[in-house]
Amino acid sequence: MTEGMKSEITGKEIWTVEEGEKRSIGVIHIVLTALLIGIGFVVGAFGSISFPLGFGVNFFWTGIVVQQVGAIWFGAWGVIAGAIFPFFSNAIAGTPFYVSIAYLPANALQAFLPAWVFRKFKLDPRLKSGKDYLYLFLAMIVSSILGAMWSVLVVLRGFDLLTTDSVPLFIWGWFGGNVVAGVVFNFIMLKVLSPVVIKTTAFVKKWWA
Amino acid sequence: MTSVIEIKDYTWRYLHTESPALNSINLTIEEGSFVGIIGPNGAGKTTLAYSVDGLIPGQYNGIKKGTVKIFGKEVESYKKGELQQVVGVVFSDPEAQFTAMTVEDELVFGMENIGLTIPEIRERLEWVTELTGLSDLLLKPPYEISGGQKQRVALAAVLAMKPKLLILDEPTSMLDPVSRKKIFEVLKILKTEEDNTIVVIEHSLENLVPLADQMILMADSEIILQDRTKDFFKESGLLLEKGVYPPGALHFFHELSNQGLYRGEYPLTVEQGKDLLRQLIQ
Amino acid sequence: MNKTLLGYVPDESPIYAVHPFVKLFFLLIVSLFPMFVTAPDWNIGLMVVIIIFMWISRVNMSTLKIYIPVAISMGTIIFLSYTVMGGTHPEFELLARVAGVNFYWERIRDALVVYFRVLPMIFTMVFFLSTSRERDVIVAMRSIKVPFVVTYVFAMSLRSAGMVLEDFHIVRQAEQARGFDPAGKSLPYKIRQYVMYMIPLFALSLRRSEEFTNALVARGYAFTGEISKVKRADYILTHYSYKYFDYIFIAIIGLAFVALLVFRYGFGYFQVDQSWLIGLLREAVS
Repeated sequence: MTEGMKSEITGKEIWTVEEGEKRSIGVIHIVLTALLIGIGFVVGAFGSISFPLGFGVNFFWTGIVVQQVGAIWFGAWGVIAGAIFPFFSNAIAGTPFYVSIAYLPANALQAFLPAWVFRKFKLDPRLKSGKDYLYLFLAMIVSSILGAMWSVLVVLRGFDLLTTDSVPLFIWGWFGGNVVAGVVFNFIMLKVLSPVVIKTTAFVKKWWA
Repeated sequence: MTSVIEIKDYTWRYLHTESPALNSINLTIEEGSFVGIIGPNGAGKTTLAYSVDGLIPGQYNGIKKGTVKIFGKEVESYKKGELQQVVGVVFSDPEAQFTAMTVEDELVFGMENIGLTIPEIRERLEWVTELTGLSDLLLKPPYEISGGQKQRVALAAVLAMKPKLLILDEPTSMLDPVSRKKIFEVLKILKTEEDNTIVVIEHSLENLVPLADQMILMADSEIILQDRTKDFFKESGLLLEKGVYPPGALHFFHELSNQGLYRGEYPLTVEQGKDLLRQLIQ
Repeated sequence: MNKTLLGYVPDESPIYAVHPFVKLFFLLIVSLFPMFVTAPDWNIGLMVVIIIFMWISRVNMSTLKIYIPVAISMGTIIFLSYTVMGGTHPEFELLARVAGVNFYWERIRDALVVYFRVLPMIFTMVFFLSTSRERDVIVAMRSIKVPFVVTYVFAMSLRSAGMVLEDFHIVRQAEQARGFDPAGKSLPYKIRQYVMYMIPLFALSLRRSEEFTNALVARGYAFTGEISKVKRADYILTHYSYKYFDYIFIAIIGLAFVALLVFRYGFGYFQVDQSWLIGLLREAVS
């Protein structure tokens, strides 16, 4: 039980666990992980089926919003969900089982990096300042580059599904598909829903609670 | 008689709100009784139900004052999962309570959580499906059954855990009249054949009143009126003032009384009203 | 009919006699086969075997139609990757040069090898999804002692996906009732549509998380604490038992995999230069 919070809090305060505030892992986090996987499954499958490049790589992957926004709000639970749900959406879209498994680190990283940036630099998930926008954008860029490189270089080349010469196209496809969709959805989702989410018991200030 | 619920000077304010959802609540409910709680929306009925089940303060942040004791023990003193073994709650939205893939899995889930063995689970499953008429639906997934059936599943899932205290928070609000009646038929059997203490929060008084030993009126975060059912509805004027419409038969006789056409006790059910009217006419 | 993860299987199907773990084992092991086989003939043979299994299981074969566009687009991508985007390689045998693009024999051969390695992997997945009910997957996971919380999250995810789809339809109807109909509209309009769907879908899921949590807690479930250490009876497993043919299937799949590895690495079988199909193609293009 905590005292009532001020009506307008700063970005830093959002991430700060107050003295006497008790936060613990609960059933809500398990439920949230499952719900995020479910919503990511539907949204990600839509992107995989509608704008396919091949092997789960898409021109416009709407699942990125569940990965990144989910992880920003719900910490490690969002990262777990963000790593797992593409496995389901890719499976339905026809990506082989072990290729989907091999994508896990890329998806986990894409979810983790924005979440880490927000917690490290105490950014406001409600996107109140230019700094919030800029850092989020940079996190999206870097995470998508790293995700693209893992997925294309390690996974697709590792399975010999692509030639070395065609790797750049797929890297651009993965990167562009994530960043474009992220720009379209991430900012507006955070802007509209963060004010509500940060007041819920589900919101994760650290990584697990 | 043992007190199952003992609430003293209890006030609860949710975080980020200005006024308390419950204000200075004092309530005692004895073992084995069937209690109905009524009141307009926003009166604090659901918050009261959550407070008794430990969902408050367990799942919600807020400021608590006073005490809430269940079976003589403060709610917060129970270990995780312990209180839910003695208190069962059925919520109003059947859709939001079905978390498993089949009816059978949903019924068994709670029993597995409390560590029952397979023979025990089998026995209780048979009992509860017989009681709630779910025997033919066990392998059905949630999207293949109706809202009324889902609510019976929710009730059965809780009953299977054999809680000593059963709380139903507007269990029939999303159901059609036939499904509503089926739920109350189960509650009637529970009242007559089992020794549960049952608390029902409801708007549908026609079904609730014949079963309730005691009624509570809540409004504006407080308990306004608490009495035995027959005496409770003598305060029809107060009920109407607080936006609660008494059962039809009672309301009719209350209006007659207002017109100076009737002086006497009010019937609680249509049957009682019919008998009373027959007597008056004869 | 019984609803599987990908469609429906009739109530009377021999696939139900098989323990769910066997189906999961099949998916995990048989998906590996093509990774060790470069000769397309063998991979095509594996695809035929899987199709036969689907037919025996009485799966609605029109399910496969969904994957025709996937197979075509994937084949096109592989072909383009290995030819048009394959670069210049003087060490390869040039078959033709069209509009400045080199078509090498080795690249075309490799594209075929890759394509026919991926197709059976997809077929294995489709077979699994079209013959497994949601409960089967949970039983399979519990059989191999996957922690309950993992299986429960999986089950709830599937349930949640179904609810999100229902919510999507409701939100879409509500938006259309307000005059927001993207049919025949431009791409930016359609993108706006997705945003207008996403926000309520997320909001609904957040509200639902609270309700589900309350329902789980009310059923005595806890993720931490002493109660979480209670030994669960796993009642669901009482409906499923291993029969003699389950053990036979598991043995056959396992032994087939071992034999594959032995013949592949011990005796050099299943390689592309032993493929009669590739040989046939080679003769045709030379």
